[in-house]
Amino acid sequence: MKGDEVTSEETTPRRNPFSAIGHGIDVMRDWWEHAKVWQRYLVYIGAVVFALILPAPAIGSFMSPGADWTSVLVYPIGTYILLAVGLNVVVGQAGLLDLGFVAFFAIGGYNVAYFGTQYHWNYWATVVMGIAMAAVSGVILGAPTLRLRGDYLAIVTLGFGEIVRITANNADVIGGARGITNVPHPPPIFGTKFLLDPAPYYYLMIVAIALVIIFSVRLQKSRVGRAWAAIREDEDAAELMGVPTFKFKLLAFAIGAMIGGLAGGVYAGKAVFIEPNTFPFILSATILAAVVLGGSGNLPGVILGAFLIGWLPERFRDFAEYRILIFGGVLVLMMALRPEGLLPSRRRKAELREGTGGMGAMGAEVAGPTTEASAEVNQ
Amino acid sequence: MLLEVKDINVHYGKIAALKGISLEVNEGEIVSLIGANGAGKTTTLKTISGLRPLTSGKILFNGEDISKTPGHKRVIMGIGQAPEGRGVFPGMTVQENLLMGAYTRKDDLTKDLDEVYGLFPRLAERRSQFGGTMSGGEQQMIAIGRALMTKPKVVLLDEPSMGLAPMLIAQIFSIIKEINSRGTTVLLVEQNAQQALKLSDRAYVLETGRVVKSAPGKDLLNDPSVREAYLGGH
Ligand SMILES: Nc1ncnc2c1ncn2[C@@H]1O[C@H](COP(=O)(O)OP(=O)(O)OP(=O)(O)O)[C@@H](O)[C@H]1O
Ligand SMILES: [Mg+2]
Repeated sequence: MKGDEVTSEETTPRRNPFSAIGHGIDVMRDWWEHAKVWQRYLVYIGAVVFALILPAPAIGSFMSPGADWTSVLVYPIGTYILLAVGLNVVVGQAGLLDLGFVAFFAIGGYNVAYFGTQYHWNYWATVVMGIAMAAVSGVILGAPTLRLRGDYLAIVTLGFGEIVRITANNADVIGGARGITNVPHPPPIFGTKFLLDPAPYYYLMIVAIALVIIFSVRLQKSRVGRAWAAIREDEDAAELMGVPTFKFKLLAFAIGAMIGGLAGGVYAGKAVFIEPNTFPFILSATILAAVVLGGSGNLPGVILGAFLIGWLPERFRDFAEYRILIFGGVLVLMMALRPEGLLPSRRRKAELREGTGGMGAMGAEVAGPTTEASAEVNQ
Repeated sequence: MLLEVKDINVHYGKIAALKGISLEVNEGEIVSLIGANGAGKTTTLKTISGLRPLTSGKILFNGEDISKTPGHKRVIMGIGQAPEGRGVFPGMTVQENLLMGAYTRKDDLTKDLDEVYGLFPRLAERRSQFGGTMSGGEQQMIAIGRALMTKPKVVLLDEPSMGLAPMLIAQIFSIIKEINSRGTTVLLVEQNAQQALKLSDRAYVLETGRVVKSAPGKDLLNDPSVREAYLGGH
């Protein structure tokens, strides 16, 4: 029931420097879609091996001549990947535009910092707490706002991200503008101590990313994933198929938030010190850029996007002030030449061609005068 | 009575789209709603299927008040809809679209799939093509087939002939008749008033959010004012 036999892919007449690369990528994706189970496992094993040797100094000297490569791999690259996989659940799978995703990252980070320093909880307990709190805030944010559509939802989530940051800035219990210092590190695992060497954090990050990827793929293939796809492509039609659209949108928010919270927890475990300005709006925008650039909805694409967005500015530190400008220029260029992202899924391409999909139904409907009655539509 | 709409008012923001519409659909019937653009036909169907909330009034299904029941639960109760503009899932294949119709069902689907493919052989040929790349008429078939996959007691069809060539229109109407004769009640919205009325047991004429006339389909075909307004005046 996959789009197996569809061969009538339209050949776009566009000619640009990216089209050859784009074509190569499409061929790879098609191979992957038809790949046998053992072939896929070979690729998985290859990916793990690749991740394990990635911090090697030989690779690092090219990838990050200016800064410690392993540290760069933990933050920004690894953290961005984790966040992007989480945001992809919301944006890529359920098709909801969330501009305040950094809030969940902050909640995860602050939980680890707060319970670790104030109550001396075990690190893992604080991470679990952070994930739980992020999920709860996801539901609290989603319950009233997920009845809104498209651009309205984007504005409200943007506001939420700012509210969390500003609250942290003003709440003295969590350090106010000064933030929290001396955040405890994770306890040793198998005798490996988490101290100043970034390597253990890198491997911890790899484990977190792997778990989240497995979780995300399982979800995508389940009934839940099917419901999200239907909601993303046409929310009203999904409801007409018997999909409880509101519940599933809320679930997407909660799961995305949990992954964001996990990212915050892992980040705080290494950071020693967190403050409100660690979680600016621009980080939400950056992660969204990573998701869209890579190919919203397609995990390999999203991971590649997050890698590039995390890595490129680090790589080109030499260009000092201009690097963000160049970075922005490259982003604009890429999206102009390949609007569906670097590694889109076939399905996403079909959605974009139809003119829907994208990021949520932008056609906002005005609710009736009886808010109560309008509230029940989507329950 | 299978479906009963009692004096419903529906608003978009402050604008009243439906101003006290009442209608009834008996089991086994084909009932049509006709009316000019903007009369409120789509809104009526959306309100019955639960996509639009009521401001006031009541909707009864099998005697049970479903005015506050969310749309996805009405599907399980037996209200299926093929929406206006089709609402096909573009990134799903034809077959995946049809299977979405059976999302809430856990029983064996092979028979139902065969039935839909029997009604629309065109879909069977194209079962692995993306919904979004199907032609307008083919998408209409997907929308109807997908609604049938929910195993509805009553199916709401919103302009199934929209944008189709005359040949295909005739075909769609005969398929609607076929669906009905297999036991599914049909509530039909149509611009093609002539053919819809011929097919319908009863019909309602809507004007700016109100029912202005209701009668057996054949009677409306001969009604001078209806002929003038909706049948091209001859
Ligand atoms: N989403 C919306 N927001 C605001 N007003 C709407 C919306 N949808 C419909 N309306 C208004 O409600 C009224 C009824 O619209 P409806 O779509 O039900 O008409 P219709 O009879 O189906 O017309 P058509 O034959 O053109 O499909 C119209 O005046 C329309 O402008
Ligand atoms: Mg209409």
